Amino acid sequence: MTDIGNGLLQLVPRAEARQSMKDFKSDQEVRWCPGCGDYAILAAVQGFMPELGLARENIVFVSGIGCSSRFPYYMNTYGMHSIHGRAPAIATGLATSRRDLSVWVVTGDGDALSIGGNHLIHALRRNVNLKILLFNNRIYGLTKGQYSPTSEVGKVTKSTPMGSLDAPFNPVSLAIGAEASFVARTIDSDRKHLTEVLRAAAEHPGTALVEIYQNCNIFNDGAFDALKDRQQAEETVIRLEHGQPIRFGAGLGKAVVRDPATGDLAVVTDTDENESRVLVHDAHAASPATAFALSRLADPDTLHRTPIGVFRSVERPVYDTLMADQLDVAHELLGKGDLGALLAGNDTWTVAG
Amino acid sequence: MAYVIAQPCVDIKDKACLEECPVDCIYEGPRKLYIQPDECVDCGACEPVCPVEAVFYEDDLPQELSAFRTADREVFDGLGLPGGARGHAPLAADHAVVDAVPAPSTT
Repeated sequence: MTDIGNGLLQLVPRAEARQSMKDFKSDQEVRWCPGCGDYAILAAVQGFMPELGLARENIVFVSGIGCSSRFPYYMNTYGMHSIHGRAPAIATGLATSRRDLSVWVVTGDGDALSIGGNHLIHALRRNVNLKILLFNNRIYGLTKGQYSPTSEVGKVTKSTPMGSLDAPFNPVSLAIGAEASFVARTIDSDRKHLTEVLRAAAEHPGTALVEIYQNCNIFNDGAFDALKDRQQAEETVIRLEHGQPIRFGAGLGKAVVRDPATGDLAVVTDTDENESRVLVHDAHAASPATAFALSRLADPDTLHRTPIGVFRSVERPVYDTLMADQLDVAHELLGKGDLGALLAGNDTWTVAG
Repeated sequence: MAYVIAQPCVDIKDKACLEECPVDCIYEGPRKLYIQPDECVDCGACEPVCPVEAVFYEDDLPQELSAFRTADREVFDGLGLPGGARGHAPLAADHAVVDAVPAPSTT
């Protein structure tokens, strides 16, 4: 079992008995298209949950609308299939009023970045104790294949027969820009990596945003093949590990360095001369600048040079804690409030008809 | 719970399922393909593409094929989680239940 260093996680009651993956499977028949990447993510989450050792009754999965948002049905925990884009808002209410709950949000690229874009960025800047899993398949799957806020420019779909005109969001860049204290990216089919990232997210006190590249095999099949094909992946995937020099490519022959002229990041061939210039990944850096620069390395069209792993993990005050502290102070100064008296009070208006 | 590959696959090994599996959990044995049950994510992509209808959800295995219920699990005893079939050598031996299937007649 994970050694839970996160003080906030210690507010959640522990399971009485040892759990297994089976304990987290509900009795509902899983209904995604055969071959959907969501199955792999569900299996990884169900496989990881016993490690946390939390009482199932104190775990909640809140989703919005979309294929991924069917997730809560399949978890044998509490859950809510909520309003389009509004899962972060509902989860914020839960997390702040019930600190004995472990609250997870499951959302997609459309739900989180289009319909619920505002809710997402405000949850991130507030640093509410939520774990947000953003399934990014770069398409609207539930509505049968329209381009999404993460689709590449020129995406030909039924709604954009001549190609989409929108520049896509990069969810990791967006989250870092929205002051997120934890931002990571992983891939549906890489169960080991996905589980490592889930572990890091669960242990983080505050909002954790995990972007999961997820294949929609019906409407956007192969969107992430460049990162999944073993041979290609060597050249395309940059695995970020805190404290480690950032190298990738066949035989780790390429490295990420800072360009002295522009201050931006660049990819160079790893030579003895470059050795001292190779960037060492610091996920805990106070400034988000380098994490942001890393998030910009990937080519949005080819996905070449895509970093995966934890980009940023820093501790800063958590909204739930600040709110609880403020309530304590208010109680101390003013005594416990009386909602009933407030509602039935005499500060009323009569509207003339 | 997982999908399993039953008798119709024996000595056929069409491999259409290998292309479909999103988590690369279908491994090749000498006479049959095998699904690693702990790597399988129950997505069902393999089932409709099998030309000989050899893939079944574990619970839906017909009575006459029940001997295959545990073959896919047992063949991985000692191999653990190989972590993906691509780049993995074919399994050295089949499960006993497959060995028991008569070889196709050559006449």
